[in-house]
Amino acid sequence: MFGYVRPHRGELLVREYQQYKAVYCQLCRQLGKDYGVLARLTLSYDCTFYAMLALGTQGDRVSRRRGRCVVNPLKACDFLEGEGESYHKAAALSVLLTRQKLKDDLEDEGFWKKLGCRLLLLLGADRQGKKAARRYPALAKLAEDTTAAQRQAEESQAGLDQCAEPTARLLSGVFRELGGCDPGQSLALERFGYFLGRWVYLMDAADDLERDRKAGSFNPFVRRLGLEGEKELTQEQREQADLFCNQALNATMAQMLPPFHLVELAQFGPILENVIEKGLPQVQREILFLHVRQLTRRERRELGIRL
Amino acid sequence: MTDPYKVLGVSPSASDEEIKDAYRKLAKKYHPDQYADSPLKDLADEKMKEINDAYDAIVAQRKAGGAGRGYGGGYNNVGQNGNSSFSDVRSYIMAGRIADAEQILNGVPPQRRNAEWYFLKGSVLYRRGWLEEAKDHFSRACQMDPGNPEYSAALNQAMNQRSGVYGGYNPNMNMNAGGCNACDVCSTLYCADCCCECMGGDLISCC
Repeated sequence: MFGYVRPHRGELLVREYQQYKAVYCQLCRQLGKDYGVLARLTLSYDCTFYAMLALGTQGDRVSRRRGRCVVNPLKACDFLEGEGESYHKAAALSVLLTRQKLKDDLEDEGFWKKLGCRLLLLLGADRQGKKAARRYPALAKLAEDTTAAQRQAEESQAGLDQCAEPTARLLSGVFRELGGCDPGQSLALERFGYFLGRWVYLMDAADDLERDRKAGSFNPFVRRLGLEGEKELTQEQREQADLFCNQALNATMAQMLPPFHLVELAQFGPILENVIEKGLPQVQREILFLHVRQLTRRERRELGIRL
Repeated sequence: MTDPYKVLGVSPSASDEEIKDAYRKLAKKYHPDQYADSPLKDLADEKMKEINDAYDAIVAQRKAGGAGRGYGGGYNNVGQNGNSSFSDVRSYIMAGRIADAEQILNGVPPQRRNAEWYFLKGSVLYRRGWLEEAKDHFSRACQMDPGNPEYSAALNQAMNQRSGVYGGYNPNMNMNAGGCNACDVCSTLYCADCCCECMGGDLISCC
């Protein structure tokens, strides 16, 4: 996944922000414990969201522990430990998705990138990924199917909806499993996951639109908007493209919110709500309207945006 | 029955206004219209009923008057239509048998695909979550039969969702902007000055 599923910090309570950070730090620690130091590098906002959703739906007992940051021992850090499987699963998911991504890149990137991917796989990504797959075979199967379906959709130059389907399916499967044997909860989670996955895929495609267009790589938005032949986009064309992407994302949001509201959460409800209701729209705004990717670090700081 | 105050998430000491507010918020969240085309309909109905019962119980307890309920809102509603050439497809969609409906639709040869076909195919895609193609099909249906209220309602709804009214980011609405810029300061001052002048005073003497 791609780091788009994150909270809108300005709208969180301080207490909620601390909790979010403590979950983030605990997941980092769990990654190190379960899959070795290098696995910590796979830590992402997306998997933190998954960990929180798992803790929230399973109602695992959590307890706060003060400690020191694993990477920087000079920094004091809170960890929110959980009793159930949630963190283990989130860590496995993080490792599995990274391994799939590396394997996928191995097939179609340039020489230097290929070399890097192979090196990382040799350094343990492959071994740790296999370990995660042994612990959670269902998750591993989902991740593998997704990559295969994605490749196929892109090779057949499919439309937007079909290209978004594999990621949507992935999250819908992963979330569904959190519902356990409660059919209502599973259904709500499945439907919510489908549209969150779709949103993530579309957001990523919208974010890469300009780069893919210049490089001539496949991008469903470029195809949909008929921009393949263009050399340089005019200001107007670019704005049109951004608006179109935003509309596609909004339509997905409209479908995502109702099932999300039906998910029963024992804890972290307000934080998860913040991510979905405020965080995702904020990402749309930052990427499509403020164009944060093209800003310098200083300009970003003035806008109060941290990536 | 569970504690009605707990269902609405308010304390028993909350004022009537607060309870009304909490009820409205929840009712909006779970209103069946939003789930009309979704497999979650039953779950949402159950929730809605719970909320309604809790609200009614509290109102009865407090012997307050009734409150306004009901939220309008269009949704992609497929119903039975007297002169439809696809009544079997319509009944499959109404029964939630999307795969069956799609199979019949795909079997229709291209030269027999009329406006209704595009509308129904769009409805099937919409239920599957393929929102982009659904919208394209709805607009094709509207082009072929511009006066049809059923098709234009479906297209309108899709366009509304795209605008960000139902979640997402609406670039024309400054919802996330924090703080104010120099322009805001100037215009606010100017307004304040005008107000003062209306009342006979003056805030900024030079204008």
